Amino acid sequence: MAAGPPPTAAQAYRPNRFVSLPAELDPETYDLSPEKRRAEAERLAIRARLKRQYQLQLNNPNPPAIIEDPALIRWAYARSQNVYPTFRPTPKTSFLGAVFAIGPILFWAAVFKADRDRKEKLIQEGKYKRPFSVF
Amino acid sequence: SEMSKDLLPGPYPRTPEERAAAAKKYNMRVEDYQPYPDDGFGYGDYPMLPNKSLHERDPWYQWDQPDMRHNWGQPMHWDFDMYIRNRVDTSPTPVPWHIMRKHFLIFLTTMLIMFGLGEIYPSYRPVGPKQYPFNDLYLEKGGDPNKKPPVVTHYEI
Repeated sequence: MAAGPPPTAAQAYRPNRFVSLPAELDPETYDLSPEKRRAEAERLAIRARLKRQYQLQLNNPNPPAIIEDPALIRWAYARSQNVYPTFRPTPKTSFLGAVFAIGPILFWAAVFKADRDRKEKLIQEGKYKRPFSVF
Repeated sequence: SEMSKDLLPGPYPRTPEERAAAAKKYNMRVEDYQPYPDDGFGYGDYPMLPNKSLHERDPWYQWDQPDMRHNWGQPMHWDFDMYIRNRVDTSPTPVPWHIMRKHFLIFLTTMLIMFGLGEIYPSYRPVGPKQYPFNDLYLEKGGDPNKKPPVVTHYEI
């Protein structure tokens, strides 16, 4: 079996969820196509519009008491109040819910029961030494 | 809050019009907007942004909020509070992650094996019981000072 082409520097780096690829190894950095430029221009237009809105509120002679950030409100709403309406019981969510919510309860109940049974057996046989006995 | 319902996050977008409306709501391009997969986990239509921490954002750009490296109205990552500059850092390392992990595990397993072997097969210079002076500390151990102490010799000539 012939070995394939040698791995590129980006592939040899193997970025994962703990580190991202350096910009120098990313082929997108060197991509100068018109599509990328138009995408960047559109993003810049959105950014400039948002900056203008923010600066107008910031430099207002009668500034509002708080300049609220809609992105922050949406983030907080999505993480707190939008979770229950968009939740749906699927096989995956049911399995994870069982593992993380019901599993520990059953596990610790079994552990404590087994421990207590073992201690009870030792007491019945008379082999248990009381740890904090006052006698 | 007093924002209207169409400005707040909602359910997963199903039609292309809903996707376009959601992208506009979150101040993103329609091509950039990618919601989380519809697995019923509770993400709704919130955009899935790349999992990059704030360490990777340009430190020299004039952000509206410099400590958070965040602009007003810019969509925030779902795990934004994890990726702040006090916490998780995903910036690229000079040495790739798998090489660092390999070197660390080699070192750790070698040291653990050596320590384990040292516990199972200890090795030290020969030792004997401790020898005390003054006739095995006769007076200090409460012996009668008027009586003659038993002579203790620890050597043989």
